[in-house]
Order: sequence, then structure tokens, then C-alpha cells
Amino acid sequence: MAESEFSVIGKNSIRVDAMEKVTGRATYAGDVYLPGMLMCKIMTSTRSHAKIVSIDTTAAEALPGVRCVITGSDYPDVRFGSGALKDRRIMAREEVFYIGEPVAAIAADDEITALEAIGLIEIKYEDIKHVVDPLQAIYGSSVDVHSDLEDFEGFGFALGGNNCTMLDSDRGDVEQGFKDSDVIIEETYHTQPISQGFLEPMACVADVEANGRLDIYASTQGPYQVRSQLASVLEMSISNIKVTAMEMGGGFGAKLRLALEGFPAMLSIKTGKPVKLVCTREEAFTLNGPRLETNIYLKTGVTNDGKILAREARSVFDVGAYLGAGPNAGVGHGLGAYNIPNFKLRSYGVYTNKLYVGSYRASGVADMNFATESHTDVIAHKLGLDPMEFRIKNALSEGDTAVNGSTIPVNGLMETILAVKERMGLPKKMEEGRGVGIAVGEWRSGSGPSTASISVNEDGTVSLLTGSVDISGSDTSLAQIAAESLGLRLEQVVVAKRNTDMAPFTGPSGGSRIVYSQGRAVQNAAEDTKAKLMDLAADRLGVPADALECAGGSVYVQDNPPQSLDLGQLARMSLTSRGGPIIGTASLSSLPYAPVFNAQAAEVIVDRETGQVRVTRFVQAQDIGKAINPMGVEGQLEGGAVQGIGRALSEEILIDKETGKVRNPSLATYLMPLSVDMPDIENILVEVPSADGPFGARAVAESPGFGPPAAIANAIFDAVGVRIKTLPLSAERVLAAIQGRDADEYTVDAEALRAAESA
Amino acid sequence: MKKQLQITVNGELRQALVEPYYSLLDTLRDEMQLTGTKKGCDEGDCGACTVLLNGKPVCSCLVLAHAAHDAEVTTIEGVANGLELHPVQKAFVEHGGLQCGYCTPGIILSTVGFLESGEEPSEENIKHALGGNLCRCTGYTKVIESVLVAVKATNTASQAARE
Repeated sequence: MAESEFSVIGKNSIRVDAMEKVTGRATYAGDVYLPGMLMCKIMTSTRSHAKIVSIDTTAAEALPGVRCVITGSDYPDVRFGSGALKDRRIMAREEVFYIGEPVAAIAADDEITALEAIGLIEIKYEDIKHVVDPLQAIYGSSVDVHSDLEDFEGFGFALGGNNCTMLDSDRGDVEQGFKDSDVIIEETYHTQPISQGFLEPMACVADVEANGRLDIYASTQGPYQVRSQLASVLEMSISNIKVTAMEMGGGFGAKLRLALEGFPAMLSIKTGKPVKLVCTREEAFTLNGPRLETNIYLKTGVTNDGKILAREARSVFDVGAYLGAGPNAGVGHGLGAYNIPNFKLRSYGVYTNKLYVGSYRASGVADMNFATESHTDVIAHKLGLDPMEFRIKNALSEGDTAVNGSTIPVNGLMETILAVKERMGLPKKMEEGRGVGIAVGEWRSGSGPSTASISVNEDGTVSLLTGSVDISGSDTSLAQIAAESLGLRLEQVVVAKRNTDMAPFTGPSGGSRIVYSQGRAVQNAAEDTKAKLMDLAADRLGVPADALECAGGSVYVQDNPPQSLDLGQLARMSLTSRGGPIIGTASLSSLPYAPVFNAQAAEVIVDRETGQVRVTRFVQAQDIGKAINPMGVEGQLEGGAVQGIGRALSEEILIDKETGKVRNPSLATYLMPLSVDMPDIENILVEVPSADGPFGARAVAESPGFGPPAAIANAIFDAVGVRIKTLPLSAERVLAAIQGRDADEYTVDAEALRAAESA
Repeated sequence: MKKQLQITVNGELRQALVEPYYSLLDTLRDEMQLTGTKKGCDEGDCGACTVLLNGKPVCSCLVLAHAAHDAEVTTIEGVANGLELHPVQKAFVEHGGLQCGYCTPGIILSTVGFLESGEEPSEENIKHALGGNLCRCTGYTKVIESVLVAVKATNTASQAARE
């Protein structure tokens, strides 16, 4: 490629927050200590499903040092939701729906006293029948998790019973497609409950001000979402809540919405004092939604020469006690990155009596990807085709119609596949016990409300204000975009620390939307700023604005560069100018569909004696449109891939099959990858610019987590000839498969679902 | 009952009055306002709370505060020399060795402790030295790269000092 036309974009840039983070000065929510602050602890249900007969808090309240005890009846009787349904209360009122559901909260002078007080609260329960297994719960169950499901605000289409939402997408004639097919393959894949694994357990400080306003210091990806949901559960006006998103120690979707802020908030209102909640690691597993299991049925019809004609998918998402993200992926990602002319996609959210499901890095897409990309390999092998060639033959291309109905615009799917193919030297046959597998992923650049404001300082620097939380290095990228657009150096852009009072509204930091959408807003705001600078300079230099150029920290006459004003001069002049101080702003609500494709390949060694799988090499290519900060992009790709490798091999929240209780809420028993476990990861950045992203950028962060489970499962098949359809691909499971046991552990009864749908 | 203790933290003698069950981590954070040391699990599994205790990396959540009486402790706040970053900090800044930053203080202290241990700073040994520090964001690649850069910088500096 030619020498870059950019001076800041595309250059490895040091994170704007790096100095604070390496010196221990970055302030996270748990680092907020206010005078007179009380500590909060939460008491949770010990029953899977029960009526609350009585709660006696007298003894707890009498304990010295206890300042306040609250239960569900202290809150307004309102429901909210993290999905399409308003199905959840902030704290249980008359009924508990899972073990671990908050039933009371305490504010005390210190944590130990608060914990002691929890032991003094007496709750009488009356058990109700419960159900834990989503495949049992979805149809024909005599147990209803929520008997008033159909009264929930937002309730739409579902089979009833415990199926709280059913999504569908159809195209063509799927039955005819199967009839025309030479080979039909039907399978069920199963993915496990997993944790987002953020290192910083949820924390919050709530401080009621003298005028009754609530000041919330939160560990959140979505300060405006916390504000609106908190306003709704407390029946306060939005403007009476200020949320400051502190430095955040990882969220990955878990901290997108109202998490636990409602507990210290109510306790602060009741006591008039600041109240702090810091979760334990156990609570990080049990108090905020993780991902739960998914069972995915796939039926695909293909011709002998490898053209996919038809796909039926029925994906069952366990959502636990309350609906959360996931089911959308069952239709949105039921096809993979392939052009399939006839399809029938169904996705079901199913209530069970366990912890509600939360979001995690493109919720549900990694589950779907494991199923569809394993399935793709199975089909290729059945047809005797090379898995890579089979993918290339069916891959989506420009002009095809995406499953969401959009026309596929120019993209780098083929480039990513070919890049991985070449780097890995595929196809290749490795020695016995070693194998290589691939997976292709699809996502879209996230959109949604985005805003930015830029003001020019008297020293010629600019201050950038956005409402978005930096969870991935995005502040650095946003600063780069502003700098590049205004002809400044990166260090001439100050990124403001912000809260919901001062920054303009924006959507949450999730779904890989910040650089793409917020970045576009920043670029537009910079253009607006530039136009105002030019107007002022034109006026002062006595030339038309279109004769000017803005670069290198100055506005100058193109034909006579020495005739110029630097940004500092212009900022100072603006203070007394007719237009006033220079501020550029921008606002947008959505950007067009810009897909993100990636391809990933894993090499593994499988130990036939133990079933142990070790990833020895990992190569990934992603079309990121334009790498704003290549070092940051690589960091996202590497981190995402390693989360995917954890999902593939070792991570699993073990849930008691009888009670729905989390059995392994600790980092000693929930096994996340360590530095010693990881292969070298090779990244290939493919840059096919998007039409609307800033400088052509597309989304980055979600996709790298998709492919590892299927790529590794496909590599295991290549190495030892066994197909594992259940995650994680643990040594026990691989060994069992090698020994010919337990091939299909889970089955979705597609016939029953078809019958239920037509009934 | 609370008891008095004294610890030399980052070269300063600090005193605190804490309960016998208080961890060194809680004492640093709650009593000494040194909040750079992070609590990720309080069970010795994640390494976010790593500090140097008499020069050796430990999980400060597993050390009772009173067990550190009269000891020397280095926390993340004491790694830089004033405004001048330690070579390890500098390497992490310049080579993308951090993202959310929550595990970073612990990883930096583990690294500093390892480099001062005199063990051969091979990639394999580095990975093992950081084997007790969980990071969920980076996937470790740039963490290890940063440490390797710091090793080089430290070697060059000490070579220069010898010459």
C-alpha cells in the first residue's frame, strides 16, 4: 500500500488512559471513598422458586452498626427488563424465581456488620414447583416459571408456557429446497453457561444530594441506560439522577444496563448517606446475568457438488428467570456467512428457574457460530469437499441479501478467508494427533444514538466530549479521529471525563458500535468545528473560506501558507467574535448496515490418552475497514480470540440440575485462560473500507470471540476424527468421543417445535 | 479487636489500626488510601492485588495485614520514580500491554518482582511468572511483548551502568 495519507489514523497510538492505568491512579467505582460512606450487602434467595410468606428484619435492624434494611416492598411496584419484556423487579416482592435472587439489602457502617446482619434476617418461603432444564421447560412442562407471562409489557409472539419470545425469519421455499437437495444433515449443538469474566466485580457508590438528586458512581458500559432504568425502578425523573461512569475493569456486555445500582441508590435515599456496594467474586458470578446454555438444531440441504440450498434452524436460548439478550442471534446468525436461498429460522427464549441471562460480547452469536461453523465442516466432510473450498463456494458476496434483508455491501469476507488460507498453508494434512480447523464469522458494525462535541481551547488544543464509556481503547481512537480531522497531533486532543449531566446522550458501549458510530459523530463534529474555524479565519484574513486549509494546527490560505492563523489565535479571537467560542457538534441515530467478516484458524494437538487439547497456533483475519489504531485493534482481536479459546476448551458455569444453583462461583473453579495456556496469536488486518464509518472503519471487538470454538472443534475432528457437538471441548468429552461414548448429549425435538408452531 | 501495625509502604513508614482479620489488601485500600492495588477475587485466584512483600510478589488479599507488620511493601503507586515511569510501566504503555487496566497493577508488580528475582527472563519463564495473573482483555500477547521489551530495556540500562 502507498504511504499513508493520514498522519494520526492508522498509526499505533498510546492509549490516552495508559499513564493513569500503569501508575494505579485510574479510579474505578470501587476506588470511590466518600466521607460517612456506608457499606451495602445483598441477601439473596435460597429457593429455586417460592412464595415469600414473610420477611422479618427486626433482629438485623437492631444490630449495632446497621443503618438500614430494605426489601422488595420498599421499591415502587414496577417491572423493568433487559430484553424485549418488562418481566423483572429489582428485588423480589411476593415470589422468588431462582436461587440467588436479591430479597433484601443492608447498609451498615462496614461490610462485616452488613454481612452479619444478613444472617439475622428471617425469611419464610413456601416452595413452588420449578424447572431448570430449558429443553424440558420449553414445551410440555407442567411448571410455569412466570404464570403471568402474557401480562408482561412487551409480550408478543411465543409458544406460551415458558417460551417467552419466539423470533422467526423465512425466505424462499425451504421444503422445496430440501426436496431439491442431494444430502440433508440434521444435528443439535449445545453450548454451555459462561461468565463474562470481567476482572473488576460490579461496584457502585450512590450518594443522595441535599436536594434529593442521586449521584451514582458506576462501573458501567451504559451510563444513560443505568440512568433511565434506575429512574423507572425508583419512579424518579431521569434528570434527578446523575451517573458517572468510572474507569471500568471489563464489562464485555455484563455492565450494559442497570446492574446493582438500584440497591445502594435506595439505601442512600433512605439513609441520606453515601452507600457503596462492592461485589465479591462469588457475586460477580451469581448477582448479574452470565450467559446460559443454548441448544441449536440445524438442518441443511446441499447438492452433491456443494451448493447449500436450504436451512432450517431452531435455536433454544435458556434465558433463566428473566429475558435477556441472545434469541436475536438465533435468527440473525442462523445461516453463517453464507448465501442460502431458502431458510426457516426460529429462535426461542425459554424461562427457567435460574439466574437471568446477561449480555456477553455479541450475545448468542458465538453460540450460533459454534453450531453453524461445526455444521459447515460436517457437511463438507460428508460431501468429501475441502472445508475451506466449501465455504468459499457458498460465501456471501456483494449484492447478496443478508438475513436481515439488507443488501450486502462491499466487504472483505473473501479476503479474510484467503488470508487465513494462505497464512496457514491450507489445505494441509498434519501428522496423527494434530489437526487444523477453521471458522468464519459475521457481525455488523454497531449503530445507535451517537453524539460528540468539540471545543477549541485558547492554546490551540481541542477538548472532545462524548457520552460514551471507553471499554476497549475507544477514547484513543475517538481522539485520533478528532485529531486527524482537524489536522492536530493526538496529544492536542483532550478527552473529557464525563457524566450524564455534562455529556450529550449516547447509546451504550456495546455491540462494537463506538468507533464506527460514535467515531462518525466525532468526525462530523470535527468537520463542524473546522467549518467554524474556517469561517472565522476567512473573516479575519479577508479571504473566502474555500481558499483556506486547516492542517498542522493552523488555518492558512492554500495559495499562500504563511498567511495563516493558528488554532490558538482563532480560539482567542473567537471569544469576542460574533459567533462566540468555537464549538462543533454532531448527532446521529443510526448508520447503514456495514457487515464485519472474519476468518479464524486453529492448530491443535490432541492427546489420545487423556483427551487433552492444546491450541498450538492461532491465525485470524478480520475485515476491520480501516484500523484507526492498529495496536488497539490487534489487542481487541487477541483478547477476543483468547476469550473464545476459553469458551472452547475450559470455561463453564456448572449449574445444579436439580436446583439451578451456580456450583462453581470462583476463579479457581471457573477456568479462564492464563498466559501459560495461550498460543501465539497471528492477526491479519484486512482493510476494505466501509461507506460510512470514520475513515472507512468497521467494528472490531465482537467478532474475534466467535470462531475459536468451531475452529478448535473442527481441528479436533481433523486431528483424531471425532466430532464434539457440546461445549466446552473438555478433555473428558474428547476422550469419551475418542472411546466412542457420548456422541450426542443433547437433542432439540424439532418435530415437537414444528407441531407447537402450527398448533 | 483492632491492633496497631506498621508497614513500610513505598519507602514510607505507615501505621494503621486494623482488625486481626484484615488483609494487607484491605489495609492498603481502606486504611492507607492506596487504591491502585485492585481486588478481583479476594481469594488468591486472579493476581490483581499483587504487591511486593519484602521484594517478592504476593497476593495481598492472602496476607493478613498484621503478618506484614514491620515488612516492606511496594504497591503500584511506588513503582515509578516520581513522574518517571519504571521501564516495565513504560513498556506496557508503549506496547499496548493493558486495556481495561484492572489487572495491570498486579501484572506490573509480578513483572517487576520477576525481573528482580534474577531468573532467566525467557518468554517461557515470563509466561510462568505471570501464570497467577488473570487478564480478560488482552489475551496476554501484548502483555508478554511488553515484558520482553522491558527485559531488553533493563538489560541495556544495566549494561550501560556497568560500562
